[in-house]
Amino acid sequence: MSTEPTASPTGDRTLVYLPGLAGDPGSSPALAALEAEGWTVVRPLLPGFDGEAGFDCPDDYLGWLTALWDAVDATGVGPCPVVGASVGGMLAADLAVFRPELVTRLALLAPFGIFDPDHPGLDPYSVPTAKRLEPLFAEAVPEAFHHRFAAKGESEAPVARYLTDIAAASLIWPVGDQGLEGRLHRIRCPRLVLWGTDDQIIPAPTAASWGDHRLVDGAGHLLEWDRPDAVAALLLPFLSS
Amino acid sequence: MRVLWFHLMPYPDLPDDFRDKHRSVWVDLDSGLLDPEVVAASYDAYLDQLVFAEECGFDGLCVNEHHSNGYGLMPSPNLMASILANRTSRAAVVVLGNSVALYNPPTRVAEEMAMLDLLSKGRLVAGFPVGTAMDTAYAYGTNPGTLRAKYYEGIDLVLQAWTTPEPFAFNGRFTKQRWVNIWPRPMQQPHPPVWIPGGGSVETWDLCAERDFVYAALSYYGHLVGKESMDGFWATVEKAGKDDNPYRAGFLQFVGVADSDAEAYRLYREPAEYFFQRSLHFFPGFVDPPGYSSEASYRRKLTSSVRSAAMTTQARGGPTWDEMLERGYVIIGSPSTVRETLADVAKTLHVGHLMTLLHFGNMDDELARRNTELFGQKVLPELRQVWSGYTDHWWPANVD
Repeated sequence: MSTEPTASPTGDRTLVYLPGLAGDPGSSPALAALEAEGWTVVRPLLPGFDGEAGFDCPDDYLGWLTALWDAVDATGVGPCPVVGASVGGMLAADLAVFRPELVTRLALLAPFGIFDPDHPGLDPYSVPTAKRLEPLFAEAVPEAFHHRFAAKGESEAPVARYLTDIAAASLIWPVGDQGLEGRLHRIRCPRLVLWGTDDQIIPAPTAASWGDHRLVDGAGHLLEWDRPDAVAALLLPFLSS
Repeated sequence: MRVLWFHLMPYPDLPDDFRDKHRSVWVDLDSGLLDPEVVAASYDAYLDQLVFAEECGFDGLCVNEHHSNGYGLMPSPNLMASILANRTSRAAVVVLGNSVALYNPPTRVAEEMAMLDLLSKGRLVAGFPVGTAMDTAYAYGTNPGTLRAKYYEGIDLVLQAWTTPEPFAFNGRFTKQRWVNIWPRPMQQPHPPVWIPGGGSVETWDLCAERDFVYAALSYYGHLVGKESMDGFWATVEKAGKDDNPYRAGFLQFVGVADSDAEAYRLYREPAEYFFQRSLHFFPGFVDPPGYSSEASYRRKLTSSVRSAAMTTQARGGPTWDEMLERGYVIIGSPSTVRETLADVAKTLHVGHLMTLLHFGNMDDELARRNTELFGQKVLPELRQVWSGYTDHWWPANVD
């Protein structure tokens, strides 16, 4: 099997997006900005992140990687850029490590995967459930997250949110270090690492562990939601170059 | 009915302003509050109280496992149980229990419990709790999303280790061990009775009903909240086509006995307030990690108004003394009051094993002993008659 990226059969302006801790409520302004520039955003469906009943947590990280590979393969996309945020950033990085033929460019937004004991940050799961979204953002929680799963109805929406939480938490429990530091050298495609200066979950000094990076002023952990314009402005030239 | 004496072994010296100055009694509790001299003296007193409980006629002595907290000072209940095994001769030694998912491999639990059964000459009850979220997910860093699956697998491994005569290979999802062949093996054959401490999760009811384990309901919110949990358990038992032998169940209850109702009201207020306002002062962020509750249990939580009311009260600073009594968190009174109330509770909940908390909070040794003695003399004999028509199949082989 070839491990070098080749041209995407789905077109030159397709990218894969892997969302962060709070899942993907859709309507991300940063992704909308990319779409406005002609990019097609493909969202692989990871187990649990859809809030569907009956989610069974993979046994371990290898189980998650297998689920990721299956999900990406199921989209039918060929080699293309991959944008991953938070837990999705960790998965995106490992996609580039283990399936390098799929990833032409790698954009990581405050990825988990390397834990810096000198800057442990806030444990997102030591926050009471009702307030768990708040520290993910530098400012108010975007409306899209409040209404996520609203279509499921009043009684089922909290269950769907809980299942999404289980999926995300199980990827990073207890400290979100999956040994990526020892695998970073395997990433051969161009890489852009962005980090919010106000990230409470993974403080910005951790970004140095990932090598070259850019800081986004005033952004929290889910920086593509806090500073969509700034993030899109950095992503667009990287993805298009 | 079997009546057991349960010790939580709390840290008894949390300051009066503990709630105001510290966010949680569990997980990130300030170690500056810990005085080793206080702990050492407490261990002595607590073990003596358990031994005294046997002298007062209690059927079993219970200890349990918790980590990183001032609520209960037993990271290893097995250490305490080994002392009790040696210092007592008649009562069941009830370890409630070992959180098997925290042990790697869980074979260690099979070994230590086998040792305890031998040390106690076949008096061990083997308890396997999932463990609280604070113990398992936070203090021990276990992924809550796979905790329960790991827990079930751990129980399977322990039971196989106790009962499989030949060396065997265990190939589980989480534990893989080419050679399992524990020495020593338990004295009780095929194995000590298994009790599952639970807090109302649907899966624990299923586990107990399907596998004929005792469901030991450990709620600190008394028999009124406990009724909801026990009703759920008994409905599950019925659905599984099992009999309704009350010895399938156990229930935990705070109890304070005095010569009169008025005296009990006066005596037990301070230790009860200490327990509910300091020992149970949890930070809400440590209670509900994603995955700790299964999907089914989470749905049930969302609709449980009784549980929700208890949690709301706890979050706003703990119940007042009068609320504790009104809601049945603590049952106090003269021997006749306590006797009648507990007999009624046992029948209402349909439980054959009553686990009494006769020491709680910062209760001093003298009061704990008086409570134990009065209960043993004036309450326990009559309670024994409850469920006299049933046989307890979940009791250690070498205990009457």
